[in-house]
Amino acid sequence: MVDYKDFKTRLKIAKSKLKNNSESKDEKKGKFMGNAFKLSTEFVAAVAVGTIIGFILDSWFGTKPWLIIIFFFLGSAAGMLNVIKTAKLMQEKD
Amino acid sequence: MATNPMHQFNVYRIGPEIKIAGIDISFTNASLFMVISAVFICVLLFFGTREKKLIPSKLQLIGEMFYNFIAKMISDTAGSKAKPYFPFIFSLFMFVLFCNMVGMLPYSFTVTSHIIVTLILAIFIFIAVTIIGFIKHGFGYLKLFVPSGVPIVLLPLITVIEIISYLSRPVSLSVRLFANMMAGHTMLKVFGGFVISLGLLGGWLPLSFSVALTGLEILVAFLQAYVFAILTCIYLNDALNLHH
Repeated sequence: MVDYKDFKTRLKIAKSKLKNNSESKDEKKGKFMGNAFKLSTEFVAAVAVGTIIGFILDSWFGTKPWLIIIFFFLGSAAGMLNVIKTAKLMQEKD
Repeated sequence: MATNPMHQFNVYRIGPEIKIAGIDISFTNASLFMVISAVFICVLLFFGTREKKLIPSKLQLIGEMFYNFIAKMISDTAGSKAKPYFPFIFSLFMFVLFCNMVGMLPYSFTVTSHIIVTLILAIFIFIAVTIIGFIKHGFGYLKLFVPSGVPIVLLPLITVIEIISYLSRPVSLSVRLFANMMAGHTMLKVFGGFVISLGLLGGWLPLSFSVALTGLEILVAFLQAYVFAILTCIYLNDALNLHH
């Protein structure tokens, strides 16, 4: 009788452990997706903003193709900077 | 047209057309669902805090859980200096979360799946954080754009890049929320359409996908509200503590 009870509690503990593990796995999956999406939007947003700034400055100064090209590359650099910053923040959290 | 997956994002007017100085400010379905989310939040927090028991009721427990969650998030990411901004971040998180969650109900409308809503929220945060930064540090806030330890030759280039990176914050913040919500809801509708068109024989597979996606969407709805709030905290931290 004692053995039977002991086994029951152990089964309960093992089951709860299994449940906890699978839950945390799902959570991790969601977080990975969130992180991946976070990094990509950081990059794309900076490129877009850079290009838009270039476009506006171009129409102000009438230097049609040049500033948009320069600011596209500056925007890409800013995007990489954003990605590095975000990645650093993620590492700090872990 | 009911099977068009983008049909759910239509904004239409409810009630009379109201125009002030040529700007259309009529009450739309988007406004209706914003009001519904706000009412949900108010009801939850009103009934949750009405009787403050030592052993909390379920609603009180939920309210306290949200409070603790946000308070911990703020103190973890932005430090003790950010405590005065708790009401702002709390209401922001609750609004985005409830808009996302109300959007998960069938026949409802997801307010946050429209970029104009999320962009206005993000621009408001961006301007508020910039003003807070200038109030706290004066023109010293501009040091944010000039990282230390950079050779003089590279300084103009780095400053321009830092400024673009700073300006891209509201864009990335709003696009992330909007794209997640819109993509998820479109996908749900597409799979829903498959169920109808494949009928009783083949409709079971997309139906099961649909169920799984609904679960994923609820996770995404929560996660995006959390990300929105935590990024606001991080930006606030930059403005308050200015360590670069």
